[in-house]
Amino acid sequence: MNKIAKLFVTFISAITLALVSFTSSFAKVEGEYIVLGSAISLTGKYSSNGVHTQNGYNMAVERINKMGGVEVQGKKYKFEIIYYDDESNPKRAAQLAERLIKQDGVHYMLGPYSSGLTKAIAPVTEKYKIPMVEANGASRSLFTKGYKYLFAVLSPANQYLEVAIDLAVEKNGGKGVKIAQAFEQDAFSQDVRLGILDAAKRTGSEIIIDDKLPKELNDMAATLAKVKAVKPDVLVVSGHTKGALTAIRQISEMKVDVPMLAMTHCDAAKLSKQHGKKSEFALCASQWHKNLSYKDKFFGSGKKYAKDFQKEFGYDPPYQSAESSAALLVFKDAFERANSFDRDAVRDALVDTEMQTFYGNIKFGPGGQNVAKPMILFQVRCKGDDCENRVVAPTKWASDKFYHPIPKWSERS
Amino acid sequence: MEKVKQKDLILYSGLIILGLAAPYLFSAFKVQLTYLCVLIVLAMTWNLQGGEMGYNTFGNILFYGLGMYLTASVQVGMFFPLAEWTESGGEKTFVHTTAQYFQGIGVGLLVSAIVPAIIAGAIGYAILGLRGHYFAICTLGLGIAAGEIAGGIEIIGAGQGFTTPPFPAEIVDTEARGKFFYFLSFALLVGTFIFVKYIYGSRFRLILNAIRDNEDKAEAMGIQTMKYKIVGWMCSAFFCGLAGGIMGGLIGYIDSTDVAFDGREMGVFMVLMAILGGKGTLWGPVIGATLFHFFKEGLWTLILGWQYVALGVLIVVIVVYFPEGLMGWLREKYPERFGEVIDEKDRKAQVELK
Repeated sequence: MNKIAKLFVTFISAITLALVSFTSSFAKVEGEYIVLGSAISLTGKYSSNGVHTQNGYNMAVERINKMGGVEVQGKKYKFEIIYYDDESNPKRAAQLAERLIKQDGVHYMLGPYSSGLTKAIAPVTEKYKIPMVEANGASRSLFTKGYKYLFAVLSPANQYLEVAIDLAVEKNGGKGVKIAQAFEQDAFSQDVRLGILDAAKRTGSEIIIDDKLPKELNDMAATLAKVKAVKPDVLVVSGHTKGALTAIRQISEMKVDVPMLAMTHCDAAKLSKQHGKKSEFALCASQWHKNLSYKDKFFGSGKKYAKDFQKEFGYDPPYQSAESSAALLVFKDAFERANSFDRDAVRDALVDTEMQTFYGNIKFGPGGQNVAKPMILFQVRCKGDDCENRVVAPTKWASDKFYHPIPKWSERS
Repeated sequence: MEKVKQKDLILYSGLIILGLAAPYLFSAFKVQLTYLCVLIVLAMTWNLQGGEMGYNTFGNILFYGLGMYLTASVQVGMFFPLAEWTESGGEKTFVHTTAQYFQGIGVGLLVSAIVPAIIAGAIGYAILGLRGHYFAICTLGLGIAAGEIAGGIEIIGAGQGFTTPPFPAEIVDTEARGKFFYFLSFALLVGTFIFVKYIYGSRFRLILNAIRDNEDKAEAMGIQTMKYKIVGWMCSAFFCGLAGGIMGGLIGYIDSTDVAFDGREMGVFMVLMAILGGKGTLWGPVIGATLFHFFKEGLWTLILGWQYVALGVLIVVIVVYFPEGLMGWLREKYPERFGEVIDEKDRKAQVELK
């Protein structure tokens, strides 16, 4: 037993030594670099959107650095981001946020992907008074907690599909509609659901199916069978990328006829590419579309951004990438206005943000959400086999008329 | 014998001093150290079933998740309406005072130890009659089912998740929260270790081993195996619930399937750690959990995106080269250090035979 004890003592002291030599931390500003930290879902169920987010961040960092960087007190600085993989897991995300702040000495954070993970990280950044600009946590409950260091460049989740219900009611001659809805059990989708409930109450619509879908969404046939039986006016589905893909796959397989199909995450799922004509007429909520007429000096217009992004990463940018890029523009702007690296000065500058980016206008409300930018709706439309997303609402940017109702499967070629 | 005990004493007091000093020595690593304590507790309690009793359970995650929800619910529900709290925004309206926070978490932890133990008793009564892989699969279902059910209960936040009470703002020291949770988890670790060590010296362990080695024979010898199996599981549930309660408070946000009933991660990790260190030994799970945690924290960020591949390789390596875990491997290599008497001539003869 005593040798075991010796072995153990050796083991412990080895660990101690390793840990002590590990504790040299970075600083928030190193030489000419401003170090930002972010936990991103590179693996797990949010991995595809995590990568969209990371690409958006990287694209903006590269662009800002190339165009002169950030000027603070007459000196030019460049952005640098430390990434960790949160594995799409809130527990891991909270732990990594702590690690970024305490061990890597990060003083400014960029958000993770998804509301759930942002919810897990926000208490940590709040505790250490670290300003976090996030681009992918839209859940309304993030903005009702009175967080002081959280800033979101996007519109809250409950606004995502409210417009769609209004549209349906309008098409129904102002009378309430019958709504079938199915939402993934996660913070974001459940918030979209709350938005629909509000809209239904406001318009006198009736909710006839209200299903919850599991995470790792691969099958919603049970919901669709009910939809087939009760024939609602609108079917609303939200469950991130997988939800959108599953819905279209099974709706086309089961030939479910419904006059209006409203979803989220169509562009992140590259729906029009992956499912082509099967996805036609799907109505999608989006934070951004490349055809919108916003401009800034770094990326030019939305179209220009889309083109550059396509060149860099080989696919059309979903709004997740665009809003992530916008987060960096917000940070740059705030640093320059604060003209300091003091966290509270930067935080105060963020509060006063009022700017236009290629992604949209940005101004933060008291809860930290972006109040200057409306949500948009687009519809997948096809010419032959070539499908694309066309903006149909709000009318200011609409390039196409909203097509309603969706033709029956028997009439679709 | 006396001499050995003295050595033990030095070892244990050394470890306790190290444990108490750790948050001051490695101040930046407090959260990771807290995780380490909780992981060790989970591995040690899993070992009671998987290692000592031979019942490979994936169900311990159920008690861990229950503990998490119970602690948070009690902590909120004692002072404020729980439904309003979870419906989003409650955290802003209702603020725990320092006293309320600590009273809440204290009572919450108490509940989260007792209730899972009772539930373990009830479920155990129903399913501990199953043996081998039937039991394993059944417990696997428990964790998954609990996650789905919790995701549908509105009062604990359902799919929205549950934000646990923030650490009292009146305590200005930003380090205080980290220290509080570290010492809480360290106390739990010490408590669990003492308990498991006590079991290792008792007749109870021999009975568990008898169940593992041949349950029918054990029964034939007059041991009421069912009773002992249930009590064993209840003991595990007690500590798992506490571990979950502490983790919930530390993480600050409870999600039904990803944080609380996280069978895919925590549920698998606790098995892996116990096997890595060597199941059926006192120190095995401790060493396994420590190594695993260091592997995870140290290497995973270096191989972004590939960490689960690395984990897969690790599992294969463990199973192929260390089927009995590190402790088992050491025991085979240096049996005399484990107090086994080896006849040198016999060993030589065996070597020559090979």
